[in-house]
Amino acid sequence: MSAITVTDLTKRYAPNGPAAVDGLSLTVEPGSIFGFLGPNGAGKTTTIKILTGLLSATSGTARIDGLDVARDRAGAMSRLGAVLEGSRNVYWTLSAWQNLVYFGRLKGLRRAAAGARAERLLTEIGLWDRRGEQVGTFSRGMQQQVAIAAALIADPAVLLLDEPTLGLDVAATRAVKDRLRALARDEGKTILLTTHQLDVVEELCDRVAVINRGRAVADLPTRELLAQSRSRDHYELRIDGDADLLLPDGFTAERGEDETVVSGRADDPETLYRLIDAIRAQGRRLHSVDQVRPSLETVFLTLVAEPAHA
Amino acid sequence: MPDTAPALAPPSAPPPAPPIPAALAAEIRKGLANQLAHPLGHAVTLAIGISMYLGLQYVMGQGALRADLMPATLIAIGAYWFLQYSGQVMVADLIEEQRTGTFAAAHMSVAPLWAAMAGRLATAALFALPIAVLASLVPALAVGIRIPWHPAALVPCLLLAADILAFTFLMAAIAVRTPAVGAIHSLLTSLVLMLNGAFMPLALYPEWMAAAARLLPTTLAIEAIGRVLLDGAPLAAVWSDGTLPLLIAHTAALAGAGAWLLHRNRRLALADGRIGRY
Repeated sequence: MSAITVTDLTKRYAPNGPAAVDGLSLTVEPGSIFGFLGPNGAGKTTTIKILTGLLSATSGTARIDGLDVARDRAGAMSRLGAVLEGSRNVYWTLSAWQNLVYFGRLKGLRRAAAGARAERLLTEIGLWDRRGEQVGTFSRGMQQQVAIAAALIADPAVLLLDEPTLGLDVAATRAVKDRLRALARDEGKTILLTTHQLDVVEELCDRVAVINRGRAVADLPTRELLAQSRSRDHYELRIDGDADLLLPDGFTAERGEDETVVSGRADDPETLYRLIDAIRAQGRRLHSVDQVRPSLETVFLTLVAEPAHA
Repeated sequence: MPDTAPALAPPSAPPPAPPIPAALAAEIRKGLANQLAHPLGHAVTLAIGISMYLGLQYVMGQGALRADLMPATLIAIGAYWFLQYSGQVMVADLIEEQRTGTFAAAHMSVAPLWAAMAGRLATAALFALPIAVLASLVPALAVGIRIPWHPAALVPCLLLAADILAFTFLMAAIAVRTPAVGAIHSLLTSLVLMLNGAFMPLALYPEWMAAAARLLPTTLAIEAIGRVLLDGAPLAAVWSDGTLPLLIAHTAALAGAGAWLLHRNRRLALADGRIGRY
């Protein structure tokens, strides 16, 4: 059984308005880290909100651990922890300890069980000695760690994280990434995360779905997605000086005083030859031509630039 | 055949707590901790409020704190503080939580929303009650006024508290979707302060104003408490004149409207994604 199953999910905020999520289907296998990507307004947060029971779907189903969020909300919530983007997620006026016990009780834990679990989680994130301090006095990174711990308080099978590393510094981002990796690897948690930081996805996620305009435009294992894109020919050309060229489709230029870097995808070698001819015609010196490995960012931009699949 | 002893059952996780009592207890504990995180703020607010009340009484008494006028106003000022603080704890905090997002986090509970709201209402009552008692008791002790206690007064006191809490619940149900209700709540609270006899006994109000004030069930309840406590009237008297039945009906109407609005607003907020944000 999949940990998360979304089937033909559609959400319209107005009866005749555009679909924020449009017939989306995806599954997330237990114990995996799933990257859920898309540009702003693609429908990621809407999907997350439906999965967390904070938003009702217009049609379709969302299941957590086999339980339909709309029909068995309490059951689904008991198997789910979530950290939402743009929210505090925890009470800043309360201590880390008070927050964890509170959220544990809301998930149906007995007080003693919530306390024992809170002790373990706070020890794991290194905040046990500061358990009595108000969360508002913590750094942003520590607050995010407390929010993740609060989401984990009832030991849920599934963790949904909306932009978990947004606004964190390098060290705090590293700490969160290490924690998520350990949760999936050592505790078998299923993690669905959305982020715009594609290095996080490339580093952590077993599988990636990219949505655009509410529809999935890709849903593949991360390695496969990258490999598939790497089979395409991406080139980077370095040209002397500030070159003003008419670029073929799919190419972009970063112009500098000393050097212009032109990069893009050339499925047809003729495209590359024509570009080189154009450089020669301008009398520019070509420093180098390299076949480059596209990053996930390049892949993502290519995918969301293409029209959504019907 | 091997000797097979029945295997020991593995240690199992403790059974889950009943979700509704657990959510109620969690909300009360969280709400009180939240309020007590900044005790100095409450102390200063209370000190200013009591000073203003005494100052006003001094002006009303034309340079004296009059022990003949103050007892009735002490009951009214206590009721006002109960109204004011229960609103602050439940309505203002809910608006703040909708804005910051913690309401959404709390909404991912296994308990229904009404259980969380009931917990918040209980917190409001638990926190507002001692504030109201202090707001009445401190000036009474400062001036040396002694209000005799009659157990019969407990009934109108409880009905007044229930009416105020039903009003607070209604405001909170609206606040699930409409942050502007905070301003409306403040306006209505101020209106109650002006009309409930907290400044001076209703007997000293202009006749039309006293009549308008008596349209408010809270004013009637305060008068009923005064009649039992200060005039020694029996409970039957304030029941038979219709004050208490009216209060019960008003409380039931407010609570019913609050429950309906909470259900409706939750459904609408789930449809347009406003749980956790306005």
